[in-house]
Amino acid sequence: MNWFRPGGVWGFILRRLLLGIVVLILVSVVVFLATQALPGDPARAILGRSATPASLAALRRQLHLDRPVLDQYLTWVTGLLRGNLGTSLAAQEPVTTLLAPRLVNSAVLVALAAVVSIPLSIAIGAWAAFKREKAFDTVSSILLLVLAALPEFVVAVVLVILFATTVFHVLPAISTVPPGSRPWNNWLALVLPTLTLVIAVAPYVARIMRASMIEVLESDYVEMARLKGLPERTVLVRHALPNALGPVFQVIALNLAYLAGGIIVVEYVFNYTGVGGALQQAVVNHDLPVVQALAVLIAAVYVILNLLADVATILVTPRLRSRL
Amino acid sequence: MTDVSRRQLLTGAVGLAAVGGLAAACGTSSPSPVTSSPTAAAGTPKRGGNFRLGVTGGGSKDIMDGQNIITKPDQARLVTAFETLLLFDENYQLTTNGLAESVTQDNPKQYTIKLRQGIEFQNGKTMTADDVIYSFQRIGTQKNGLTGFAATATMDIAGMKKLDKYTVQLPLKTPDSTIPQTLGSYTFTIVPSGYQAYPQPQVGTGAYKLQSFTQGQQSVHVRNPNYWRSGEPYFDTVTIIDFSDTTAQVNGLLGGQIDAMTDLPPSQVKVVQARGLQALVSKTGGWLPICMAIDMPPFDDVRVRQAMRLIVDRQGMLEQVSSGYGFVGNDLYAPFDPGFDHALPQRQQDIAQAKSLLKAAGHANLSVDLHTTDGAAGMVDTATVFANQAQAAGVKINVINDPNYYGNQYLKLAFSIDFWGTRAYLNQVQQGSLPTSPYNETHWPPKSGTGSDFVSLYNQALATTDAASRIAIEQQMQQIEYNIGGYIIPFFGGLIDGYSPRVKGFKPSEGTLNLDSFGHGYRTIWFG
Amino acid sequence: MSQVSGVAVPAAEVAPPSVRGTSLLRRALRLWRTRIGVVLVGALVLLAIVGPYVAPYGPSTPVGAPNSTPSGTAVLGTDYLGQDVLSRLLYGGGSILAMAVIATALGLIAGVAIGLVAAYSRNALDDILMRGMDVILAFPQIMLGLVAVAIVGPHAWVIVVAIALTTAPRVARVARGAAQPVVERDFIACSEAMGVPRWRILSGELLPNVLGPLMVEASLRLTYSIGVIAALAFLGLSPNPNGANWGTMIQQNEIVLPVQPWGAAAPIIAIALLTMGTGLIGDGIARTAAGIDRARGEE
Repeated sequence: MNWFRPGGVWGFILRRLLLGIVVLILVSVVVFLATQALPGDPARAILGRSATPASLAALRRQLHLDRPVLDQYLTWVTGLLRGNLGTSLAAQEPVTTLLAPRLVNSAVLVALAAVVSIPLSIAIGAWAAFKREKAFDTVSSILLLVLAALPEFVVAVVLVILFATTVFHVLPAISTVPPGSRPWNNWLALVLPTLTLVIAVAPYVARIMRASMIEVLESDYVEMARLKGLPERTVLVRHALPNALGPVFQVIALNLAYLAGGIIVVEYVFNYTGVGGALQQAVVNHDLPVVQALAVLIAAVYVILNLLADVATILVTPRLRSRL
Repeated sequence: MTDVSRRQLLTGAVGLAAVGGLAAACGTSSPSPVTSSPTAAAGTPKRGGNFRLGVTGGGSKDIMDGQNIITKPDQARLVTAFETLLLFDENYQLTTNGLAESVTQDNPKQYTIKLRQGIEFQNGKTMTADDVIYSFQRIGTQKNGLTGFAATATMDIAGMKKLDKYTVQLPLKTPDSTIPQTLGSYTFTIVPSGYQAYPQPQVGTGAYKLQSFTQGQQSVHVRNPNYWRSGEPYFDTVTIIDFSDTTAQVNGLLGGQIDAMTDLPPSQVKVVQARGLQALVSKTGGWLPICMAIDMPPFDDVRVRQAMRLIVDRQGMLEQVSSGYGFVGNDLYAPFDPGFDHALPQRQQDIAQAKSLLKAAGHANLSVDLHTTDGAAGMVDTATVFANQAQAAGVKINVINDPNYYGNQYLKLAFSIDFWGTRAYLNQVQQGSLPTSPYNETHWPPKSGTGSDFVSLYNQALATTDAASRIAIEQQMQQIEYNIGGYIIPFFGGLIDGYSPRVKGFKPSEGTLNLDSFGHGYRTIWFG
Repeated sequence: MSQVSGVAVPAAEVAPPSVRGTSLLRRALRLWRTRIGVVLVGALVLLAIVGPYVAPYGPSTPVGAPNSTPSGTAVLGTDYLGQDVLSRLLYGGGSILAMAVIATALGLIAGVAIGLVAAYSRNALDDILMRGMDVILAFPQIMLGLVAVAIVGPHAWVIVVAIALTTAPRVARVARGAAQPVVERDFIACSEAMGVPRWRILSGELLPNVLGPLMVEASLRLTYSIGVIAALAFLGLSPNPNGANWGTMIQQNEIVLPVQPWGAAAPIIAIALLTMGTGLIGDGIARTAAGIDRARGEE
């Protein structure tokens, strides 16, 4: 913004942070209005076949579905800021109690996917760049291309067939996390969902890493290091790699954000107890508080990760700082 | 009360062997003893283990209420802890194997219920007449909105009298021969005085106590050491797990994460068997009707309804939707009721006749929406296949698979699919074919002209104690429904469930609930 | 997924604004990977378009018992309702492809317009537009599709709009990122000084110079659109519950894979080949642009 420029990196971070907050507020309004537009009556949706006029009236009274819209929005937003996400209409429980274990489960899955995919893809990308146009590069390039193109649900289904039900029977086909238990209590059940997410994300990071690494390896800086007689390994790890990582951070952050959506399909296929399943249930039940809470949470994750991505890139690429 | 009156109860109100052949083990003879003895073929029951059941259809709106259900997981949970006065056996015959020692009809407007003595609730309190009266009152209170309310229409619950600690007198407002069926209906359970639904403590007379319940995910039920049927149950715990879709459920069964599942799609029976698992195929009277509202266009014209009924290729639908499991239907429900009219000719597909009927009604190129949802196995498939078949008659059916099906529109739709379990004829009429019924999708009966005497016929049948005369009236009613009714019932698919060979004791059942009434409340099954 | 914010990424992945569109395409076609991509996409598009005319049966005609293995009557066997798998495969690509292409095209048009305008304005309009894009970007594509279909219903236009809506901001970011360096070039300033109208500058000067990264992004977006639409169908959210649709077919038939693999394997292969094809094309264009760029850099 040309008209609001405290200087330097901190100024940039501050501005992006404020903008992020503005975006989040807009998101909350959009989400609230959209969920108000959900057709149908939540009481009927909850009672389903067993709805009789008496039970419907009883439930509607119970759920306070009669207050004006603006009133509901303001109550919701103020509650949100205080950490109170409302009460689930369907389960009659605080949304936080309902979602907390699921958030943990989804976060564990995403974290696991990140921890596995990031080093793996950086290594693959760097090595492919180093061994450019040779066997490893060509093979990995094609493999990654193929994997990147496949939609997640295809990968998930194929993995289940390969390892759980048809070809081999070594891993569980479903990964439900029973209430009270934690994802790490059943490691085997995490393998296939994590693998699916890694396959969804790694090819992109590896590709960017490769491109970036190629450029760095051909730069004057690295030429200098080589001419100085430094061993190739040192050149690679100490000089090339850190400089190549700059643009990669951004892609990593963006891909992690992508996982927030990718997790919906993965949780569906593996019956994993996470936010994806909660969202689907909530939408079908017109459970407005849960839908709103999840939408805002996921949006917040996106905004934060995007912010981190931009900041990381600026920090790591000095020449761009002058443009601030 | 003499032995004759007990006999009168069991034969008069319920009827003899159902059509389709019945080894009348429990029909007219004296009821079997309290401790059930499993068949020798299954081996001797062994104690122990955690039985894991996977059920679809639930979610964060799961409830636990001894007298109410909304979804199948609710059914699965209800039977862990709550029991009824009378019990239906595998052949859908009423027995006095339940909480009541006897239920006798003193006169057309009065029943006497005698409780089995010494049965304790899970909190140690003895079950008495007071609890029975409270249970009836709770169901009979309209604002509680319980599934059994409609059945209490003829009962004079306010006038119920406690004759002694274990005996209750139930007067009726009008005669009603369906009372025994109601007393055996699985949501008409006996709860302790003051009982309320979850999250209040769940205390019943059943074989398992509720230990924990996380809605939308799972519930854990632990063995009741004080259970009144000595020797039962066999499992240490029962875990009921919600699944959002069938594929995950089947995968769970194949992978060994669960021991049994409800509603195995018929086309997947081979897959499951290929992996060494078992399919429990129960020939029940459960049905998936295509419902036409008789007071909404275009179905307010009886010719359109008749045409639609002629479009269906019933055998083809049985093959496609149910993989051949089950039998063809004739647009009439309650096929196992002794009063079912087998004399009515089996309807066949007749596209030419259908077309001419539609043309005569002025709907030669009819286009109509058909609403369905994933409420039970086969609902969506029935709609899909019917839509395909209708093209032959020039009818364009637009299938709408609506996850919000049971929202605003349910029971107000002109054209929809629904699901029903097994019931006796008059009970079914009460639930779905009267103006006061809770689930009357077709808005039956007609308000004038042919069929407008349906309600008075029903009341007559209720009041008739002589079986033969009652059956005659029922058949009159069925004739009307056969000619001008709003249901298309192409087939009876039965219930197909899947389970691990580790689990013993399942028997195919003609009853309403899956998995042989969930192993009779998880009592008659064990790990072998 | 080359999502780019307002910050530049290494030149190796994004072409500088110096290569005209058609010549880039022609050069890209020299690479074997682009050619394979074109062949794959071409074959599957042909399958999708011509399929319904050569299918042995209709998409919903029962030809045998459900889930039966290949036989004389049904070359790939039958599916869960006894319908012919081969026929459904031939009928099943059309709707996915049509929706994906239309949605991507709409998203591209909107995104390019917004991105170029934003880059060119360099003032408050830029910020407002990009913040608006950020709000949409805050929702994962599939999540928006899920909620949209739940609110409005599983109609084709809902899915198309949802995908287009979420494609536009992603394209806008790339367009803006690619346009920013160009906007500061002399020839733009020249045109402004000469009094060339704004829209002419946008379409005549800016647009041709950002075609490189846009084409890469276009193929990427198409790949994603196909993936998301198929995923929505897989989750049960497609316009016709029993319409022959590759995504729906996978969900309906995956469970019986051990017994009758083709019901799910055939559409899996079809989707995989299609998305691989679009991916290869995009990759070919990117590599060509990078190669050109590097060559240029050494001059």
